[in-house]
Amino acid sequence: MLIKIKIIVGALSIILFLITFELIRKKRLREEYAILWLFTGVVVLVFSLWPEYLLSQFFVRITGIFYLSAVVLIAFFFLLLIVFHFSVVISKLTGQNKDLAQRYALLELEFETLKKRYVSHEMGSP
Amino acid sequence: METEEKILVIVPAYNEEGSVGKVVEEIYTYLPQAEVLVVNDGSTDLTSEIAKSKGAIVLNLPFNLGIGGAMQAGYQYAYAKGYDIAIQVDGDGQHDPKEIGKLLKVLEEKKIDMAIGSRFIGDLGYKSSTMRRVGISIFSQVISMFVRQKITDPTSGFRASNRKAIRLFASDYPQDYPEPEVVILLHRCHLEMEEVPVGMSERYSGESSITKIKSIYYMVKVLLAIFVDCFKKPPLLEQER
Repeated sequence: MLIKIKIIVGALSIILFLITFELIRKKRLREEYAILWLFTGVVVLVFSLWPEYLLSQFFVRITGIFYLSAVVLIAFFFLLLIVFHFSVVISKLTGQNKDLAQRYALLELEFETLKKRYVSHEMGSP
Repeated sequence: METEEKILVIVPAYNEEGSVGKVVEEIYTYLPQAEVLVVNDGSTDLTSEIAKSKGAIVLNLPFNLGIGGAMQAGYQYAYAKGYDIAIQVDGDGQHDPKEIGKLLKVLEEKKIDMAIGSRFIGDLGYKSSTMRRVGISIFSQVISMFVRQKITDPTSGFRASNRKAIRLFASDYPQDYPEPEVVILLHRCHLEMEEVPVGMSERYSGESSITKIKSIYYMVKVLLAIFVDCFKKPPLLEQER
């Protein structure tokens, strides 16, 4: 039973790790956003393959939950971090997007005004 | 020669083709010395064309930013073009351009930074639903407490600002629920404001952005935003030039 779960969770985390790596290589994912994903992959992998070591033992002892639950909880915790990170990034992008839209509109108005003035000047001069 | 102050009337409009023309016309009638800037917040109707045909300057945002983003763009224009006073008037026609003079008078005589048109000072016969009145009175009490000054109509978008306030708004303007949040922002930047009794009419067309069902949800969110605002770092205001 336990070995099956180990294989499934281990395989999933390796796949996650490889996909992330490949996306960075193809430049479809920026490094700063990928660090959390890579970290998630590694931690879940370590936890699933060697549950008796390190943190996992410590984690099981302090929380009193068992292997699978621990893995799920840790994965969940990392997903939470990633989602939170995304919220921060989206907020920043929304602000930048607003600034761009405003500046674009102001420049467009300025440009139209100048163009009109230029055209009337052209027509006015002999 | 008397130096005239440059006045800009900012009219934010989102799909207001039914009313924006009349609003612009009336502003030019009652305030011929001012210029009108219609901020077209990504409308899909003829708002922009109608405003332009009535002689307003039109600032077309490429997509809908919401009232906060649109107003800020207007203030950025006012700041860049060196206007001394900016007045905001809603494009839906609920603010009566006849009343702009009252705002200007108070702004200049009392040497304050912003004059807010209030529906609730004095009895100028403004009718609205009980629900809305209760909501606004709760806001009013909470905000008055925070800014230690009686503000009866914090959701009013009928305002006149001086150069100092224009400058602040060009760089920092609340996005989500700008009207009540601006009051807090001004207080935190130590700018002075004052309310002026004005009459407001029924909307010419369109629907209020706050429907009855959503009003409670809206209230909770605004109160939360106000609460958060009180912990934000106030923007620094350096002297201009």
